[in-house]
Amino acid sequence: MTQLNWTLDELKHQLNIHEKIKGWIITEEYIHRRERYFLGENSQLAIDQDRNVHTKSTQVRIFVKLTDPARQGEISKKFFSALPLKSQLESSVEAALHTDYQAWDLPKLPASQEIPSITTLDPKMAEDIDQAMEECTSRISSCVQKKRNTLFNSAELFMAIHQRELHLSNGLTHRSAQTRIYTESAFSYSKRLKDGKIHSDEYMSTQWAVHRDHLPIEALFDESSDRAEHSLQVIKPQPGKYSVIIDSEVLLTLLRGYLSQLRAAYSYHGLPFIKEGSEFIPEATGDLLTITLDPTLNYGASSTSISNQGIIQKPLSVVTQNKVTSNLVDQQYGHYMKLEPTSTEGNIVIEAGTLSYQELTEYSPQVLEILQFSGLFADPHSGTFSSEIRLAKLHDRKNQTVTYIKGGSLSGSIRENFKGLKLSKSTVMRSHFSSEQSHGDGYLGPEYALITDVSIVG
Amino acid sequence: MGMNMTSQNKIMRAPFSEELTALRKQLSEFIPLLESEPHWYGSIYFERKRSRVYSSNQKQNQATDQLNMGLVLRIYDGHTLFEEATDDLDLHHLKSFISAFIQRVKASAPPQGVSPRTYRVPNWKEKLSLKLDPEIRSQIPESVSPGTEVHFGIRYEQDPLRLSTEGHFLRLAEIISQIKEKAKQVGLAQEALSFINVRQSIAVEDSFFLDRETNISQTLYRVALTLMTMCGAERTFLRVGGLGGMETVHLTDPELTQLLSDLKALTQAERLVPGKYRVIFGPVVTGVLAHEAFGHSQEGDTCARGRSKAWELHHEGARVGNEHATIFNNPAIFQNAGATYAAWGSYFFDEEGWLAQEQVLLDQGKLLAPMTNLTSAIRLNIPRTANGKRESWSSGVYTRQTNTYFSAGDKTLDELMELLGDGYLATQPAGGMEDPKGMGIQVGISYLYEVRNGKLTGKVLKGPAGGDIQMTGYTPDVLNAIIAKSKIDVNTDTPDQSRFPYNDVGGCGKYHKEFVFAGCGGPYILLDPVILG
Repeated sequence: MTQLNWTLDELKHQLNIHEKIKGWIITEEYIHRRERYFLGENSQLAIDQDRNVHTKSTQVRIFVKLTDPARQGEISKKFFSALPLKSQLESSVEAALHTDYQAWDLPKLPASQEIPSITTLDPKMAEDIDQAMEECTSRISSCVQKKRNTLFNSAELFMAIHQRELHLSNGLTHRSAQTRIYTESAFSYSKRLKDGKIHSDEYMSTQWAVHRDHLPIEALFDESSDRAEHSLQVIKPQPGKYSVIIDSEVLLTLLRGYLSQLRAAYSYHGLPFIKEGSEFIPEATGDLLTITLDPTLNYGASSTSISNQGIIQKPLSVVTQNKVTSNLVDQQYGHYMKLEPTSTEGNIVIEAGTLSYQELTEYSPQVLEILQFSGLFADPHSGTFSSEIRLAKLHDRKNQTVTYIKGGSLSGSIRENFKGLKLSKSTVMRSHFSSEQSHGDGYLGPEYALITDVSIVG
Repeated sequence: MGMNMTSQNKIMRAPFSEELTALRKQLSEFIPLLESEPHWYGSIYFERKRSRVYSSNQKQNQATDQLNMGLVLRIYDGHTLFEEATDDLDLHHLKSFISAFIQRVKASAPPQGVSPRTYRVPNWKEKLSLKLDPEIRSQIPESVSPGTEVHFGIRYEQDPLRLSTEGHFLRLAEIISQIKEKAKQVGLAQEALSFINVRQSIAVEDSFFLDRETNISQTLYRVALTLMTMCGAERTFLRVGGLGGMETVHLTDPELTQLLSDLKALTQAERLVPGKYRVIFGPVVTGVLAHEAFGHSQEGDTCARGRSKAWELHHEGARVGNEHATIFNNPAIFQNAGATYAAWGSYFFDEEGWLAQEQVLLDQGKLLAPMTNLTSAIRLNIPRTANGKRESWSSGVYTRQTNTYFSAGDKTLDELMELLGDGYLATQPAGGMEDPKGMGIQVGISYLYEVRNGKLTGKVLKGPAGGDIQMTGYTPDVLNAIIAKSKIDVNTDTPDQSRFPYNDVGGCGKYHKEFVFAGCGGPYILLDPVILG
């Protein structure tokens, strides 16, 4: 293969001088990632796989002029420095000329002093990722060697540094960096039954974070071990309607999808849309949600100073006491719908409630606390969600008992089951990254939420 | 329908990309460096995935063009598989990269008190002694040796790379037009059809694998067409595709009519009361059941991690299903049911260079040996299978499913419906999840068709909260609840012509991440009871 490396400046130059191109956005990302996959061997931690990854990508969004000035073409393409620049550019422009969008323009270049500075990097991880990997491996090894009733099965540890450069044809250049760390641990518990057969089950805990201090490795391992031990003392749920406690991870999953209904793009395309001034949860009677999208949180998974379209990102109140206070309008769709662009990125920040965890568990005669769903599927358009119950606790206020539950499924709806919502007063920060290339989802808010009248089948 | 092999029709195969030839030669020279210690097994995996996606809705025609390319250097030292992955293909940089990689491996301390598990690299004679599909065997030269560059090209009829961008958008516009026309025919008002999206994706996937005995490459054409229609928050999907040319994305009139009839029915759908029911699963939902059952529990790395009950049950010889419960995993489906193109999860070799083969995972309720990747096969001391896959070159390799399906039965669909009597028909999947140690199972269903006296009533039901329906339960209970299965050719009385049931376009996440393509399918199956809620 001929090595035809070209530079970013050469790419920008070619984009600027091309007669068909009216604008462009370049996102260059360099990722360095370390991964280890562990399993137990002779009661020790063994490394099954040990990986080191270096990847660089240049993603370009090109806007081209069409015959009709009210329309434009566009293509998103990954450019590869090992391939000739001109042929990649020409094939992109040729394809873009056959696409069709309503025309829009990038924003004016913001003054550099207006762009806020945000902390999204674990400095020690960024400085020496290999050393950070060794330190965390050592901590995991200690967790594995801790005396427990359970058996350590496996764990994974991923650490990554993402360095990004955003370049817009309006002159904007912005650099940012983010660290990401992922850990999972799986423990199993076995007991011999009277007939001699072995009954066993396991529990796996996973967590993401931007800074290692926000990833409590030891607590995660203790949690998966403890829950594995309880996984054999389970019964199936009785079918019926329940008050259900969900944790922050579930809240993040449900709300990040549902909040997409606030995007102006949804209104433009005829998708389900909740407009400013509407009730977020129809006929809500419980704790009324107050939600802000905050892109400035230190070590937030969704923290960013500026959007990919060049709009400075600031905290934006989107829901106040259950009323939608702002839709999410990016530059493109704001142009289409004659709306002022707003911030569109940020961590989901939810105002805390007033109840303690204990009070939530006693809120109804029986409260089902979900410890883990098997596979939570949520529809962002309808707000419905469902999953098998991997592990839960049934709190019975009258009998003062807590029973572990496994199996059966839960079927819910944000619009219906969030009406009587109660939020915990304790808060946590959470992060989630679904793929290497995407921005993360961040959360700061109640550790638990109670939803009502949820259908459970056993 | 079978392959037309007349002299007028030449078999066309995706060629190896010439611009990768020099890189392949250069990289093969690095293998001895990766085996510079006597007990090391060195290999290199390279992949290049180029894809174009064309998408049209009522307001926009969109296009994306992606290229993802990189290589993975691998050293297995008897304890750990070390990998170094990069997309920097500059030769000078690669030499430094390899040098640093070797130093990293040398500096790693082996575990205390554990004997190394050395890997013996099979030669071509041993590989060819396995049962291989003719599509694979026919592309291996007779006098193959370690230095022979062997290429496998996916077969196609209608070149997917020929149609221009303009041609693609014209085709998508025609489909949108057909959808609007069909909507009227089924009684769905145009203004009620709030969103239509049609998406065509075409990918060219080149890869090669090198070790001291093997120098193999493959080129796959991956083509899919997805339609989505919405009425408010109600939504229906149709997805067709496979490995081959544009012949993989042929839409039929009945399919479009069904898409829109279902959408209309969903706007008036009742909600299912949770409970135990008698149900027929359609091929794709059957495939999801196979995938989530044994399936994930039969992935060798899950077994090696101590996280699968299936491994224990296999050794006990325990039965986990009845005589209908036979599940295959097979990356070598080069004719998908009656179609002439390959199934979505197929390939010629996995990403660790193992040639594709059909494998029985569950045989009439009895578990056989699991699927493997390299390290799990070594740890479990069982034969290798072609299941080492990654989300991309930059991700780690795990044991992953390819095409997973139930074996066919002997009933026509009409016979199954008659057996069903009163119950439901589930043909639209909505995800699923495994529980490899606890043996729970979750199969998602978008909506159900009501059946009374063996006939569809026209009514459609959604889940108790208005969303998806989940089938859950204890996997052995579900596999013991299979009453009957259909043939592959469901509408004929005659014996099946096709070797394999249809495997649909799909994907799979592992441990809640690591997404790969996977096919899933099977016959229609009748189960009673299943828990739906």
